Amino acid sequence: MQQSEVLAKLQEVFDATFLEKVDVRADLSARDVPEWDSLAQISLILAVEEAFGVHFRVGEVEATKNVGDLAGLILKRMDKG
Amino acid sequence: MLESSSPDFAAELASKTRQAKEFSEVLQLCTMRRRALAKGLLSRPAHPRRVAMIGGSNLRPLVDLIEHFADVAGGVGAEFWVGDYDNYISEVLEAESPLYEFRPDVVLVLPSERRCVYSGSLNSGRAEQEDAGCKVAQELLDRSVAIHDRCGAEIILGNFRLPPYFDPGPIRNSSLISEYSFRKFVNAELGLKAPSFVHICDIEFLSNRRGNLAGVDDRTWFESKQPFAAGLLVDVAREYAHVLSHIATAAKKVLVLDLDNTLWGGVIGDDGLEGIELGTTSPRGEAFRDFQKWVFELSRRGVLLAVCSKNDYEKAIEPFEKHPEMVLRLKDFVSFKANWEPKSENIRQIAAELNLGLDSFVFIDDNRAEIEIVNQFVPEVATIWAGDDPAEFSAKLKDSRYFELRSVTAEDVQRVQQYKQEAERQQLLGRSTDISSYLESLEMQGTIRPFDRLDAPRITQLIAKSNQFNLTSRRRSEAEVADIIASSQFSAFTMRLADRFGDHGLIAVVIGKAQGEEFLIDTWLMSCRVLKRQVEEEVLNEMVRLARENNCSRLIGQYIPSAKNGMVRDLYTRMGFQPVREEEGGTQFYRFDVEEFSPLPTKIRIEREAHATV
Repeated sequence: MQQSEVLAKLQEVFDATFLEKVDVRADLSARDVPEWDSLAQISLILAVEEAFGVHFRVGEVEATKNVGDLAGLILKRMDKG
Repeated sequence: MLESSSPDFAAELASKTRQAKEFSEVLQLCTMRRRALAKGLLSRPAHPRRVAMIGGSNLRPLVDLIEHFADVAGGVGAEFWVGDYDNYISEVLEAESPLYEFRPDVVLVLPSERRCVYSGSLNSGRAEQEDAGCKVAQELLDRSVAIHDRCGAEIILGNFRLPPYFDPGPIRNSSLISEYSFRKFVNAELGLKAPSFVHICDIEFLSNRRGNLAGVDDRTWFESKQPFAAGLLVDVAREYAHVLSHIATAAKKVLVLDLDNTLWGGVIGDDGLEGIELGTTSPRGEAFRDFQKWVFELSRRGVLLAVCSKNDYEKAIEPFEKHPEMVLRLKDFVSFKANWEPKSENIRQIAAELNLGLDSFVFIDDNRAEIEIVNQFVPEVATIWAGDDPAEFSAKLKDSRYFELRSVTAEDVQRVQQYKQEAERQQLLGRSTDISSYLESLEMQGTIRPFDRLDAPRITQLIAKSNQFNLTSRRRSEAEVADIIASSQFSAFTMRLADRFGDHGLIAVVIGKAQGEEFLIDTWLMSCRVLKRQVEEEVLNEMVRLARENNCSRLIGQYIPSAKNGMVRDLYTRMGFQPVREEEGGTQFYRFDVEEFSPLPTKIRIEREAHATV
């Protein structure tokens, strides 16, 4: 899977999570989206894990700075399980 | 997926919510509901329950899911207040806490499982271990009583799931020093000792059902204090909402059953008493019998049973009176409707006879179109689509959760008798249903084509097995059908029907013959599955078209009575034919003038195909 495919699928997850339309881009971060608070983050990450069939390790999502980093992490976990 | 502007949005949201299993599906539905609420496309409930939730973990997004399930699937609108993470003990004990300021009607409690452990010494005796278990349970019940005393709220108390890990080995089930046994013991204590205002949300069961290992996700605990993995979170939310709706809404009282392919395999009107599948002679028959046993068990609990079937009454009651493998007998039913009226109408009548609200009815049928008509015209009635595997019917009914035992009273047990008498007293007038908009919504497509060789086996089969909708009951072999195809004397056609639920295949066969001015209808038969779908009208339109093509001025119809075709006795008069004469044996002849006829309008889109050249 390419980063662009990951971003396209992430768009679906974002659409299912946020009330307002959010355009998913690699440089997007929580600061850019008013609805994206710590509570929304919980649901978002649970939904991401389900959508991609991955399981993140403790602490690593917190270390991502933007959606591009998250996509990279998803790809890494898709490779290594 | 769903358009919030669609008029059926609320209904579809409810049905998708009932089916959704995974977290991401439910999250999406939640978001859709919130969007629709924000746009004013859904209305908020008029008198919401005030529901507080407290507990030993992060209660969001759990509470959002509970709110969604309660409103959309449980019919209980609620306004929520959520306690702080692991602050529930002081929230309960302090009289001035925001919990009581909120004045809750119901309080949901999700206790910390990390506090449900045995902390005594490893070589303690059984009595000491049980004391510790009782103490944990009692403390939780005491807190619940404290809430109830302070504000009168009902309590829904979550119990404890069991740990999925191998540790501490086989001692797991033999000593309460294992977390596994300790929690099982505490759960049993909670269940046995809960006062009437404390309702248990059985998380132990939910986690077992999903698989204890699948319910654990320690990453989300460490990162955001989530109590469960995403899937179990959905199960627990659904359960809290379910118990909440048990408190807030009345129980279902009546189970309305279809007959053919629901209580037995096959069609009693066509296959006859010896032909239906029921009982221990075949695996399928055994499955149907097992389903009947479960239905009977429900009636012992006080659930009223009724029949609603498209059948001739005399035929429909035959198995109940004569079939040796039937579990259910006529005496088990408070109402028995076997006729050709829409099922929605029949269910309305049953409700009126029993003097019960439609919202206490559940209807089960193997035919999706029947489920749909009931959903559309009596949306208050809960429906269960039985599916096409009788092995799963009992499980479907059990997991529908409509007839769960809340508490058993003597009245429940006598109820069946009571209502039977009520039904016998009342007589009712039928009401009309807007059948035409239902038919329109089916998006039916009909295909009419002349007999051809490719269809010959199917035509022969339908000729052989159609008993009920069959005007002349003339049987023909495949060779005879082939003769008709080859001959120029006959005008014979078939009709297929499909709708948005699927393809019914070849459902009508007509064999006509032009003789001078007359177009004789030698054979007209149809599958009973498509009755009252306006197929009759389209068949008549086509017969008239063929008569004109052959320069005939009238149709001649013929009805030859048989043991099974009583349902079409009046067909020709219903379709506007004039009776001409009666022959001995009861054969009736009818005529229909085609000069003035203009095609009958229907909701079926017709495609006419020419002969296939093979």
